[in-house]
Amino acid sequence: MSESSLLDLPSGLVAFFMDLHEPRIPAVAVASGPCVYVYKNLRPYFKFTLPGLRVNTLEQDVWRQVREGQIDPLTLKEMLESVRKTADVPLSVRSLRFLSLDPDDMDDFVQLHKQQPIRRQTVITCIGTLKKSTADEDGVSCLVIGTESCDVFVLDPEAFIILSTMSLPAPPTMMDVTGQFDVEFRITVACRNGNIYILRRESEKPKYCIELSSHPVGLVRVGKNVVVGCADESLQGFTQKGKKLWTVLLPAPITTMASMELPTRGLQAVLVGLANCEVQLYRDKSLLSSIKTPEVVSSICFGRYGREDGTLIMTTKDGGLIVNILKRTASFEDRAAAAGPPLAQSVRLNVPKKTKLYVDQTLRERESGAAMHRAFQMDLSRLRLAAAGAYVKALESSLTPMSCRLSEPLKMNAVVQGLGPAFKLTLNVQNTAACRPVANLAVSFLYDESLYRMRTPYMRIPLLVPGVVYPVETFVECSSDKGISDIIKVFVLQEGSSAPLLSAHINMPVSEGLTIN
Amino acid sequence: MGLFDKLAAWLGLKKEVNVLCLGLDNSGKTTIINQLKPANAQAQDIVPTIGFSIEKFKTSSLSFTVFDMSGQGRYRNLWEHYYKEGQAIIFVIDSVDKLRMVVAKEELDTLLNHPDIKHRRIPILFFANKMDVRDALSSVKVSQLLCLANIKDKPWHICATDALKGEGLQEGVDWLQDQIKTMRT
Ligand SMILES: Nc1nc2c(ncn2[C@@H]2O[C@H](COP(=O)(O)OP(=O)(O)O)[C@@H](O)[C@H]2O)c(=O)[nH]1
Ligand SMILES: [Mg+2]
Repeated sequence: MSESSLLDLPSGLVAFFMDLHEPRIPAVAVASGPCVYVYKNLRPYFKFTLPGLRVNTLEQDVWRQVREGQIDPLTLKEMLESVRKTADVPLSVRSLRFLSLDPDDMDDFVQLHKQQPIRRQTVITCIGTLKKSTADEDGVSCLVIGTESCDVFVLDPEAFIILSTMSLPAPPTMMDVTGQFDVEFRITVACRNGNIYILRRESEKPKYCIELSSHPVGLVRVGKNVVVGCADESLQGFTQKGKKLWTVLLPAPITTMASMELPTRGLQAVLVGLANCEVQLYRDKSLLSSIKTPEVVSSICFGRYGREDGTLIMTTKDGGLIVNILKRTASFEDRAAAAGPPLAQSVRLNVPKKTKLYVDQTLRERESGAAMHRAFQMDLSRLRLAAAGAYVKALESSLTPMSCRLSEPLKMNAVVQGLGPAFKLTLNVQNTAACRPVANLAVSFLYDESLYRMRTPYMRIPLLVPGVVYPVETFVECSSDKGISDIIKVFVLQEGSSAPLLSAHINMPVSEGLTIN
Repeated sequence: MGLFDKLAAWLGLKKEVNVLCLGLDNSGKTTIINQLKPANAQAQDIVPTIGFSIEKFKTSSLSFTVFDMSGQGRYRNLWEHYYKEGQAIIFVIDSVDKLRMVVAKEELDTLLNHPDIKHRRIPILFFANKMDVRDALSSVKVSQLLCLANIKDKPWHICATDALKGEGLQEGVDWLQDQIKTMRT
């Protein structure tokens, strides 16, 4: 264990190989303030400081006048304020600090600082590494740093000089670097304006831009794609050209993200630390696994630790450290129950080409849609009217086996029994009134007399007590041997009225008795 | 010694015993096997084992066929093919590697639940190796961490060893020989 203290808060840390010396021991680079501190064997080795920014000449002139005693602090304040309003080069930290002071403290501040030259210094916001010329795991890497002044610098691994400078429209906050500096590389940068920019070799300005609907809080590259975690509790996948592939909604805000790659098992996934004490593992948009943690996780790192390839190391908000080792038998399968559209939905259907007829019809529909709708509505109304008319007619002429007259509400059904030539016909008649009996009813049959003979084509029905089913039986004989059948019409009549109460048509079966003979 | 015992001992001498030597990588399996071999056969340089290697050698009354199975993560599933032939198991643990004790336990549990091992009363000898290192765990602590007390249906024994000097190995091998002899009678 060794401990080195830093002057300022660290803003990033990476491990990288800075030379080809054996044994291969990586160096550690810590970004803090305007400096990168490089440690070898955990001992301070080198300090790189960002170059100063251009200083406003008017500002410099004003401070020179103070130094030469030409103006007093109050005039200085006025002049600096006007410089601040008009100039395109921002003021230095010293001037800004001065402007925020109480008038009482101004004199001391000026006395203390006026002799020193003005400097404008930016700070590092994020840091990454980029292989110099080989893709080997232990190849020499350049440091890539993003600054508050919206620049991205690539540093030489041994000399620590700036090899390349690129500028962004906004200060970078997170960065992912892939490729090799001498061949081709791609720097994906999330910026404070909520956009993600993609920088490439030999272009000083971003090549592509991803405009997000919500601020990015995590950035991980998976293969050629980029997975971005957003402040609106979503995880989004993009191609390397910035085309959106998918979005998943998360159960809680994201605290941190990291990539999880297991080449031996062909696994490329993203670990997402959530504010609900959970770490979820996603392969594209499908949730593979999730771990509960005792505290909210603040950073995640997956990779080789000691002799174990699959080690997951997490730090927690309260300063804890969790080390998990992947089981040899672990399997990563999509959770079948994961919400989302069924697989069949994404299967492409073999839809035939649009025919001329289809196109013409579509055009016609588009042009005269209103008229077509009106014609359809009219036909529908006509159909309803015709149906209602037919129903009323049926009720009025008692063509149904139900009588709906208030005085004699009746229901009837008929059963035919027998194979022929003799059939037994049973009519089940029921008075459906609540309490009133019905009397003076008769049943009459109408049939083709050349086909059927009936012993009693006219019968009287006894008084019908409400609710009871009365079977009325009669016998029919088929007198034809041609194997044909006909309808027998049944009418229930009331004495003194010529219109039937109800009627029914009985489809007589073919008489089998005669055809067999 | 009765006639019957003599016969058994004689049988024991004649017959080879397959001893499986298992454990995570870097636990000291190859070093231990090298120590168990007759002095003239001992190798001087031990290189990391890839896959597995077979060693045959005799001790005072038994001959061993030892499969030294590499513990390298991706080869670990090769072990299982040799479970059927094993008549005794030596399981080596690096007592210094506290972080990976959970991995060792995981492998041991998988081994004990394997269909070719689960229902056989085969003896298991645990070597809590590297006891010479200053902050090594004691054999008691190792057996606690691996929950050895839960093994009820197999005879087992644990000894702290220093494979570099060969300390503790003899005690374990003596126990194993006793077990194998009782199994045969
Ligand atoms: N200090 C110490 N080192 C040991 C001991 N046994 C083995 N080693 C060392 O541990 C390393 C791994 O040993 P090795 O036999 O190759 O382990 P294997 O992978 O299980 O076959 C080697 O560097 C050995 O020298 C021991 O008892 N004490
Ligand atoms: Mg070995």
